[in-house]
Formats: sequence, C-alpha cells, structure tokens
Amino acid sequence: MKKQLSVILSVITVAAALAACGGGSSAPATTAAPAPETTAAAATEAPATEAPAAETEAAAEESGEGKVFNIYAWNEEFKGFFEKYYQVPDGVTVEWHITPSDNGAYQQKLDEALLNQENADPDEKVDMFLAEADYIVKYADDAATQDITALGVDDFSNTYNYTVQAASDADGVVKGVSFQCCPSALIYRRSIAEDVLGTSEPDEVQELLNSWDKFNAVAKDAKDKGYYMTASFAETYRVFSNNCTSPWVDADNNLQFDPQIEAWIEQTDDFIANEYTLTAGIWDDEKNKQMFADGKTMCFFGPAWYFNFCMGNAQDPEKGCSGDWAICEGPAAHFWGGTWLMAPAGTDNPTMLADIMNTFINDEDVCSKLVENEAQFSNNQAVNKKFAENPDYGSEFLGGQNDVAVFSAMTDNIKWENHTIYDQLLNEGLQNSLQEYYKGVSDKETALKNFYNYVNETYPSIITP
Amino acid sequence: MSKNVKNPKSRGVSNAKWGYLFILPFFIAYICCTLIPQVMTFYNSLFMNYRDGLKQIGPKFVGLQNYVALFSQDNSGSVGILKYFGNTIILWLMGAIPQIVVALLLAVFFTSYRLNIKGQQFFKTVIYMPNLIMASAFSMLFFTLFSPVGPVNQVLIASGWVDKAVDFLNIKISVRVLVSLMNFLMWFGNTTILLMAGIQGIDQTLFEAAQIDGANSTQVFFRVTMPLLRPILVYTVITAMIGGLQMFDVPQILTKGKGTPNRASMTLVMYLNNYLTTSKNYGMAGAVSVVLFIISAALSLIVYNSLSSQYRKPKRHRKY
Amino acid sequence: MNDRKQSDKARLQLMIIRIVVYAILIFLTFLCLVFFYMLIINSTRSNAQLQAGFSALPQGHFIDNLKNAWTDASINIPRGMLNSFLVASCCAVLTTYFSALTAYGIHIYDFRLKKPAFLFIMAVMMIPPQVSAVGFIQLMYKLKLTNNFLPLIVPSIAAPIVFFYMKQYMESVLPIEIVESARMDGAGEFRIFNQIVLPIMKPAIAVQMIFSFVQSWNNYFIPALLLDKAEMKTVPIMIAQLRSADYSKFDMGKVYMFILLAILPVLVVYLILSRFIIKGVTAGAVKG
Repeated sequence: MKKQLSVILSVITVAAALAACGGGSSAPATTAAPAPETTAAAATEAPATEAPAAETEAAAEESGEGKVFNIYAWNEEFKGFFEKYYQVPDGVTVEWHITPSDNGAYQQKLDEALLNQENADPDEKVDMFLAEADYIVKYADDAATQDITALGVDDFSNTYNYTVQAASDADGVVKGVSFQCCPSALIYRRSIAEDVLGTSEPDEVQELLNSWDKFNAVAKDAKDKGYYMTASFAETYRVFSNNCTSPWVDADNNLQFDPQIEAWIEQTDDFIANEYTLTAGIWDDEKNKQMFADGKTMCFFGPAWYFNFCMGNAQDPEKGCSGDWAICEGPAAHFWGGTWLMAPAGTDNPTMLADIMNTFINDEDVCSKLVENEAQFSNNQAVNKKFAENPDYGSEFLGGQNDVAVFSAMTDNIKWENHTIYDQLLNEGLQNSLQEYYKGVSDKETALKNFYNYVNETYPSIITP
Repeated sequence: MSKNVKNPKSRGVSNAKWGYLFILPFFIAYICCTLIPQVMTFYNSLFMNYRDGLKQIGPKFVGLQNYVALFSQDNSGSVGILKYFGNTIILWLMGAIPQIVVALLLAVFFTSYRLNIKGQQFFKTVIYMPNLIMASAFSMLFFTLFSPVGPVNQVLIASGWVDKAVDFLNIKISVRVLVSLMNFLMWFGNTTILLMAGIQGIDQTLFEAAQIDGANSTQVFFRVTMPLLRPILVYTVITAMIGGLQMFDVPQILTKGKGTPNRASMTLVMYLNNYLTTSKNYGMAGAVSVVLFIISAALSLIVYNSLSSQYRKPKRHRKY
Repeated sequence: MNDRKQSDKARLQLMIIRIVVYAILIFLTFLCLVFFYMLIINSTRSNAQLQAGFSALPQGHFIDNLKNAWTDASINIPRGMLNSFLVASCCAVLTTYFSALTAYGIHIYDFRLKKPAFLFIMAVMMIPPQVSAVGFIQLMYKLKLTNNFLPLIVPSIAAPIVFFYMKQYMESVLPIEIVESARMDGAGEFRIFNQIVLPIMKPAIAVQMIFSFVQSWNNYFIPALLLDKAEMKTVPIMIAQLRSADYSKFDMGKVYMFILLAILPVLVVYLILSRFIIKGVTAGAVKG
C-alpha cells in the first residue's frame, strides 16, 4: 500500500513540476524552485522555522503571493499552536475565520466560501481550512481542494499512513495533512481493574480485554462487583465503526448496515439489558460524572486529546482520581478525531500553505514541542519514537505510563477504509435514534424508522430501506 | 381602512404622494432584504435542488413533486408535516393560553388605580427579564436543571419521591411542559407590557365615566377595557401565534435538535431546519415554507377577522 | 349604616383581592428570578465545581471568572459588546422610526395602493424568517457584504410585526383630527409626523425599541453566518464560540460569566426605556 502510494505521489510530483515550469513562463523563472527547497529545509534543519520562513517571504514577494492568508477553522485549538510554532513571513497578515461548529454552521460558512472561491478577491480567498475526520471525505474527494504534493508537500515518510489516506481523494491524490494522529485507546481505572481483573498492569489488562468476547465476559464480572463496564451506550461505537468492512452506502446509494454496526447494536442491546452500561450519550453529564473518584465505571475509550479535553472531572484536584488511570489498545484498533489542514483550490498563497503543512508534519522541533508542551500525539513517527523510547517520559495522569509508546504501537493497526461523505451525520443520527430505544422510550423498529426519516431529510440522495 | 373615507378633505393628489413617500423606505428595504430571498425560496419549491457533500444536485424542475413527497407517508407511516404541525400547535397552545391570560390579568392589575399595586417598577422589570436572556442560554440552563443528574432529580431522589432519576427530556409530556413553560416565562412579561401600553393608551375619562355610572371592576374590564384593548389584543394573539408557528430555538436546543422523544416535540421550523442545514435541500425546504406560510396566513386571517369584527362598534364610538 | 357596611365589605373584598394579586406576583417573580439566581450562582463557581453538580449557594470564583472572561485572549468581550450595542441601537432606532412612518402613511393617507400595501404587509408578516435566511446569505455573499454590519441593520427598516403594532396603536390613540388641526396651522407633512405624531407614539416606540434592541442583541443565526472576523463579532457569536471551543478550555464558569455579561447591557437599556412606558399616558393628548 505504502509503495503504491509513494509511486503515485512521485508521478504526481514530477507531473506537477513539469506543469509548473510550463505554466510559469509569465512569472519569474524561480517560481517552482523555492517550494522543494523549503521542504528540504523544514525536514532537516532542527530550528527550522526561522530560516525557511525568510526564504518563503522572499518567494512570496517574487511570485507575487497574496498579502492576506485566510484560515477557516471551527475553534481556537490550532490557532494556538500556529501562533506559537509558526513564523509568519513578513508582509503577510493571517486572518482567522472562526465559526463554531454548532448546527453545522462551520461547514455552511466554509462551503459558501469555497463555492465562491473563484470570484472572491485575492485577499478574501480561502488559503487553508481545517477539517475533522468525520467529514474530511466531503472536502478531500472534491475539486474544491488541491493536490499538495504539487505544492511541495511530498515527504510523507514520517506521517502515519491513515492520516494521509484520509486526506486523499478516491484516486489517491493527497489534499491535506493532519498535525496530529489520534489512535484511540481503552482508558481504564486502575483501582477498578484491580478489583475486577485482579491486575492493573496495562499488558495484563490488554491480554484480558483484547477481543470483544473477553470484553463482554469481563462486563459481567464488573457488574457482579457493582461496576459499569462503560458509561455510555455509545462508548464502543467507534471501536466497531472504524473497522467496518463496507461503507454506509453501496454503489447504488442504498443505505446499508455493516456487520460491525450490527455487532455494536447487538452488544449494546446486551449491555443495556444487563445494565453493564448507562443510557447516557457520549457527551452527556451523566457519563462525565462517572470520571470522578466515586465513579463506578471501568472503561472509557479515547485518544491523546481525550485526557485533557474530556476528562476534566478525573483531573479535578478535589473529586478526581488522577493517576488512577492507564491505557491499552483494547478489543480493536481504532482512531477518534484529528484535525486536518486542507489545501483549497485557488489559494493565492500556495508557498506559504505548503510551508505551514511541512512545518507541522516534518519539522522535528515543532512536532516535539507538540508532544512535550501540548500533550498531542504528533503526526511524526520519528518524533513519537523518540518519546516512546525515552524511559523517563511518562504521564502523571496515567500513573507514569508512557502513553506515546502505547499509541505508537497501536498506529499500525488503524485502518482508513470504507468512508463516505455521509459518515459523520449517519453515525450521529443512528446513535441519537437508538438512544431513545435504549432509554425505553420507543421500540427498536420505531427508532430505526426515525433514523431513516432523519437520513431522508439530511441526505436526499441516499435510498433508505 | 374605511374610516378616512369620511374625511374627503384628507384625500387628494398631494396626500397620496405623501402616503407613497412614507411607505417607500419600508418597501424598498423589504423587497431587497426579504422578498427577493423569499421569492427565491418559493420558486425553489418547484425544483429538485440540494447538495450532496459539496456537489450541487439540480436545480431541476420537478413541478409539484416536492409537495407530493411532503404529504406522503414517511418511514414511520405518518405524514411528517402534519405530525409536526400538530406538535407545533400543541406546544404553542400550552404556552400561549396561560401567557395571554396571565398577561391580561397583570396588565389590569398594574393599571388599576383601585388596586394601586406597590413596587410596580420592580415587578414589571422582573417579569420582563426572562425575555432578555438569550433563548439558547435559557434552554441550556433548563437542560442542565432537568438532566438525569441535574438538581431537580437530586432533589426528587433526596426527598424520596422517586427512587430512580426521571429522564424529563425523554418523556413526551414533560418535554412539552418544559418547552411551554419556557415559552411562557420568556413571553408573558413582554405581553404584559404590550397590553399595559394599550390600556394606558385608553382615554382615562372612559374608566372614570364607567365608575361614576356604577360599573364594578369586572364590568369595567369586560365592557370598557376589553373592547378598547382589542386592537392591541389582536396584535398580541397574532404575534404570539406567529411566534408559536415559528417556534424553534427552545425545543431545538432543549432536545438537541432531535425533538425527543420519538419526534414528539419536533416543530415545523425544526423540520424545515432539518432540510436546510446539511443537505441545503432548497426544494423540500421551500415546499415546507410554502405550507407554513399558507397555514399561518389562514390562521391569522381567522383570528384577525373574528376579533376585529367585534370591535367595530366601540371603535366608532371612540371616533365620535 | 348600610353604606358603611357595604364599604367595609368592599374594603375587605379589595384586601383579599390585593393579597391574591400580590401572591400571584410574588410567585411569578420567583419563577422569573430563580433562573437569574442560578446564572449568578453558576458564575461564582469554578468549572470543576460546576461539573461536580448543582449547588444553591455561591462559591468564591466570581472574580476569577470575571477576570478570565474579560481578559480572554481569543474572545474580546468588550469589543463584542460594543459591536452588539452599535448594531442593536441602529436596529432599534430604524425599526421603530420606519415602522411608525409606514404605519402613519397607511393610517392617515388615502391612496390607490393603500389597501394592497396593507394586505401585503399583513401577509408577509406570517412568513418565518428562517425561510428567507438562506437566500439572504447567498445574496450577501454575492454583494460581498459579509463581515459588514449593514446586512444586520438595513433589514430592520422593514419589520412587518412592528409596523402592525404601530398601526394598531395609532388606531387607538391617533385620531385624524390632530393631524388636520396641525395642517390647518400650516405644518408640513414631515413636520407633523416628527413633531406631533412621534411624541404621541412615545409609549409604543419605547416598547418596540426594547423589543427590537433585545432581539437584535440576542440574534445569533444570521450574524453567525455573516460575521467571522474577530473584530466584527457580536456577543452571541462569542458565547457560542466559547461553548464550542475545544474541551481543554471548556470552562463553564467562564461561560456563565459571559452570559451574565451579555444580558447586563440589555437590562440597563431596558431599565432606562421602561420609564417612558410608565410616564407615557397619552390619553389627554387626544381630547378635544
């Protein structure tokens, strides 16, 4: 797979370089040169940001790049990293367009801007936008984004494979990069594991929970001892859905349920009936409360960002239980979330765009700081390896466990397959509809019919059963 | 509209000119900012027109096909739009009836010289306050209060009334009561102030005359206040109804846009919103809008006619 | 004797009515205030305390939350309040002035299109604003009016509901005789409206100013789709942004503080304008 990809990439790079030379006759002859140079510099030099930035600036002036760099995002997370770790070339102003994602407002805003890209003033054109895993296909597999290898972002030797696949279109053309990698782990309470399993050592726990059969059996033991296995009926959804063997819709646009989804429904039926889990949704307070020291739940699922973003209760100095946690891979490899930097077609700052992308995936210094200072699991294998192999590196929250090592070991098993542009809302819609069934409000058939109604309203092109 | 006919002097070319001039800004602004987008919406209802990801499907003329789809059975075997219309009416009535009755009572209390309520400024300020808070913030607050782990359930469990948390937001009746309660709280103060302004606009000598004639307060209310208040009351009922038919923020946020349980609290505009957000289905959304428009126009006409036909008499009396 | 008995009875009756009325008022006051109370309590609690559960007593994090909210690097709340104030005041003034003007035009003058114009406004009043929102946004994109306050202010000139209110109000307080006597005194049509009609309409204008100010201040849907530059954002956008900010900064204490800050100016404006309503008894002006 990797080999194929790199062949495709190199072919595209060559083609793009030729095209650039051919088309560049009107611009100064140096147009094509700075980009690869910048890449090389970013990849090798340690305190890279300064040097290539100066070069880019020169390049920007020569090639007449835009003075305003417009970035579209839905929150401030990446803005923080960007301002700390990226040196903006002199003479360029970065304009952030941040629209909260509530009710799909971010995508609406972005869609209007992208569809208007051709007619927009140069200073108003979208120069980069951020996208999440749940809807990245919608943008990657569309002419609204462009091939980044042609811009000089072509070294993916250190990035994780699935993050490249996710940002590629159906033909394998790469349209963006992720600055983080989000393998998701089983996060368990050490004290409860000790009680239920007789051990809290990650290796031993993994051995006891490495398949769904074992997981389900342990759920019963946990219940017998007065614990919940998970705190939300949807907790295990992603673990199943990331491993689907078929997409949500078939070739004729018929909605279909993958065996993995069926398996999740079956497992959840069982968990609810036996009270192994709560009827709370994945973001509900009812679930979050279980993260306090007096919580009765053994397992949660989440990637590196989950500790800081979602486990505030566990880290609470008074009522939390920091240090009583540990992670292991769990029943199946999966990922959750991640933010991709996407290259829109028609940007008037291609060099700077490529420079930003290279900085966040290939600049070892920046990637190290992301791990060290920002608790990210970076999208640079070499950097992560450095931390994984460092015996002194460990997370206090996880009782000293080296989470980077665990996550690194998991990355090889993550698959990016069978995704569609519909995934985000179909996954959400199914969970929302079935929650009513699990809460006992409606029967299963009604819940599924409500889901089909939702699909018809949301995606008119999908044919429901 | 016929009252000026009695005054032939006020008619004439120059006056007509002023009339057009005075209403011109309104119409220019309306046509540019609302009418053109609206006409686009209505026109869209005859087309298949939606987005599939970033790809635009259509617009392709399909005649009345969207309307046919709107009024045929959905997967649950019911006609969606009728169900959501029913929900909307129920939710509206549950909030609007207490809202208008209470507001009318309060307006009379506050303006009554006999009762001479102390601390009026305080009470008025207070009852209007819920209207100041953003609907989204207010709904969020309710959402937290009535969640399974919220304070209401904590109290209920602590006092032994229930032994398991009540899932208020997943029980049909409690969701409807909560939505109505919030709408009531947000709007009854507003309505009170409107009606008060109306009562204060009534010639005070009429009340005095009625009292001298020996009318008691109930008689004054039904014989003097009510008839003279009708124009404002009509306004209140109609705007409450328009607001009710457009009900969106509160149930949307309270039920996270799902209209739980089993879509029993999904209103017409929430349904419209379902078509607008992701799929940009202007065809279906346009059709829903047209239906919504017809329903509200019909209801408003009925209310307007029934209420205004009764006030011809007192009005003429007032106009000498 | 009989008279005194009756007046005693009447007094007792009045007292009972008073007690009932005050009881109703106090109950409603409680219902209304309890939510503000909770908002204030919540703004004094730290994020962890808020996550831990509900409490009826304040805790000592008010100053912390206030500091966090005011000095937030990404959300410039003073700027947002300034923007919101600008937009909301313009809307309040334009809406009330032009609605009154339109209502006056239709109420007083006779012209051929008078009835169609009135019926037209009545009809369009029922159309939910959500219907035109999408078309409006597209139009604004084409006109390159995003990140501009004009699309938020100009549409407020045409507010059918406010027009309807003004029209109804004029019917009850503005007899044609006032206008005619002013005409006989030689006043121009615009002067009659500005100097005679507007003062009579003061209570109605005050009421509608409050409504439209609040509506504009709290408006989220359209501004969120049109404004995205930091220095142009209005308060509701900032609050939504705070709420959907990434979870590491998900500080609920700060969120409640923002909501508190967001409603305070509206409250102040309301308190100032509500004096007009109480004073504004217009009954005497029509006599004669």
